[in-house]
Amino acid sequence: MRHFIVTVVGACAAVLVATGPVGTAFAQASSTATGVSRLMNPAVSANALFLAQSSSDDDSYGENNIALQEAEMQFSAVVDPFWKANLIVAFHPPHHEEAAAKAEEHHAGFEVHLEEASLTSRSMPAGLGLRIGKFFLPFGKHAPLHTHQFPFVRAPLPLLAFLGDHGLTDVGAELSATVPAPWYSVAKVYGIDGGVAILDGEDRDLAYGGRLINLWDVSDNATLELGLSALTGPAGPGMRQLVYGADLTYKWSSGSLSHGPAVNWINEVVLPDPDGKVGNPVGAYSLVQYRFARNWWLGLGGGKVADTAPVEGFESVNLDADGLVDYSEFKANVTFTPSEFSDLRAEVSYAETDQDGYEDLRFSIQWNFTIGAHPAHLY
Amino acid sequence: MRKYMTLMIAAALVPVLLAGTPAQAKKLNVVTTLTDLASIARSVGGEDVTVISLCPGTRDPHFMPAKPSLARKLGKADMLVYDGMELEIGWLPQLIEKARNPRVKPGARGDVDCSQAISNLLEVPAATVDRSEGDIHPLGNPHYTLDPRNAEAVADLLAERMSDLDPVHAQAFADRAAAFKAEIEKHLPGWVEMTAKARAHHVLIYHKHWTYLVDWLGLDKIGEIEHRPGITPSPRHVHEMMDKAKRLGDVVIIAATWDHLDAAKEVGKRSGAPLVVLPGHTGGTDGTDDYISFIDTICRSLGAATTQLQSLR
Repeated sequence: MRHFIVTVVGACAAVLVATGPVGTAFAQASSTATGVSRLMNPAVSANALFLAQSSSDDDSYGENNIALQEAEMQFSAVVDPFWKANLIVAFHPPHHEEAAAKAEEHHAGFEVHLEEASLTSRSMPAGLGLRIGKFFLPFGKHAPLHTHQFPFVRAPLPLLAFLGDHGLTDVGAELSATVPAPWYSVAKVYGIDGGVAILDGEDRDLAYGGRLINLWDVSDNATLELGLSALTGPAGPGMRQLVYGADLTYKWSSGSLSHGPAVNWINEVVLPDPDGKVGNPVGAYSLVQYRFARNWWLGLGGGKVADTAPVEGFESVNLDADGLVDYSEFKANVTFTPSEFSDLRAEVSYAETDQDGYEDLRFSIQWNFTIGAHPAHLY
Repeated sequence: MRKYMTLMIAAALVPVLLAGTPAQAKKLNVVTTLTDLASIARSVGGEDVTVISLCPGTRDPHFMPAKPSLARKLGKADMLVYDGMELEIGWLPQLIEKARNPRVKPGARGDVDCSQAISNLLEVPAATVDRSEGDIHPLGNPHYTLDPRNAEAVADLLAERMSDLDPVHAQAFADRAAAFKAEIEKHLPGWVEMTAKARAHHVLIYHKHWTYLVDWLGLDKIGEIEHRPGITPSPRHVHEMMDKAKRLGDVVIIAATWDHLDAAKEVGKRSGAPLVVLPGHTGGTDGTDDYISFIDTICRSLGAATTQLQSLR
């Protein structure tokens, strides 16, 4: 019996020695025994965008308040040798009355929007690229931007009128290829479910589109980009929606001064051509941003739309015309960026229509921060 | 009709056949992020490689625009040589993704992170860091090419990696790397001598870009004007640096050509410290066409500034 006790005590001592500090350290570093490891966690980032605004025309609470415009969380990681994944979840106040009522019913106050859940190929042959899942459709220069990347508080008028009020994101597949040209040229084609606001997602007809991007170095420090886009899909029983777009972007930044003078100038035309259209609806905008000091940007923009339907932000316009209504907007802002991870913006915008004497002068203050490992934004 | 068809097929096959030419028969296409690395790659690769740099020597490499046209250049590369330690994190990952070039993707044979060759990395955080300290590099200070001894380590790494991709010229790569290192070793005493007077003074640097230079030359650094990287220095900090420079005397301020110099000039004006504006990388100013002349220009400029300071006293 004594031998047995001595043997047990000796064995326990050996185990304790073996699992001392070294054993503990190993257990913490290894996932083999615990089944849990943080080593392969995705890059995680979050940002929040707040907006305070005052409108001269619309006296509703929603247009004269301080609110969280959007909060976004992003997760990115390489999945395996073949795919990289990106997942973006956005929280924002409801955009429509129906959604607002639903959110109210659930005491939520916010809508959750899965903006992106996509896989991007890492090993396609012949320089091809494949993206599958839910993603921002490559239409024009502004539509693929996340809200916190907008150069102004709101998206340009033509995009609000013809592409929906919260970006073009849908589920599908996108194939892209480098065009063998003497300049940078990429062609993208995609097929989607048709769930974006401007299409009828319940109709099983095909929804698809494409984009051609061409970019030239006009000097060591400047580029000119010309893009052509098209998107078509079902738009109600027996009807199809078709939208064309063309964009021209000029970018310049000082090549000799860090955070020196820089210019981003975006111009875009959107041409909807749906079945049964009235007249020739069209929209165009021009936005320019200029960095005039290390931490300061000045922005100027304007846009015009001719459309038959009410446009986001113009809901109070009385549409009594038989033909097209002309909408216009002009805006200016100044943005302070103390670092790459936060900014504060003051903006004034003026909008009008040729109907009903509608005018709206709006003042906005917007601030934004980003935390975590946020991927670099698109050029 | 058949003749035309045959001609068309033959024409279509030409690019396929050209693409199938063995890699050994053509020069290695090397793309670097920094001009310092491009110069070292040219020294090691010689006539057996073609080298281009994505970021010109006049630009701050932290903030290079990710122009898609650069992705086009990267798309043709056999080897991507970069500084690493997240220096290029704001633009290089985008370019790699857009380039769709499996030869230079992370982990590929043509993916060369030069920081892997550096044994004496500086300012590696000992504890957890956050952005209250500015846009700091969590893996340590990435500006190691400002110490020419590190350039020697980079040359060895490049010779090894070029040899891996082009074994036929392995001996030539090794010989040229040895010649480059010998050239550096030949210049080292002269550079140290040129900056001897600077060691008798204090230096105030604008950004931590100069940390490795300070460490190599044994300079007495009294602080940084941009004390939180990437963040405009506060007036309070600028005044502190001004007072410190005034109190200590014999201070030289060092900044790069791309820095916002208002604060540095103000400190210099109030304290009497001369401001030396130096090229940040090879090609940053006239007469710095290669790495040796770049380091040479820095040492000469520092020596001249301290001589000027002494003559004023």
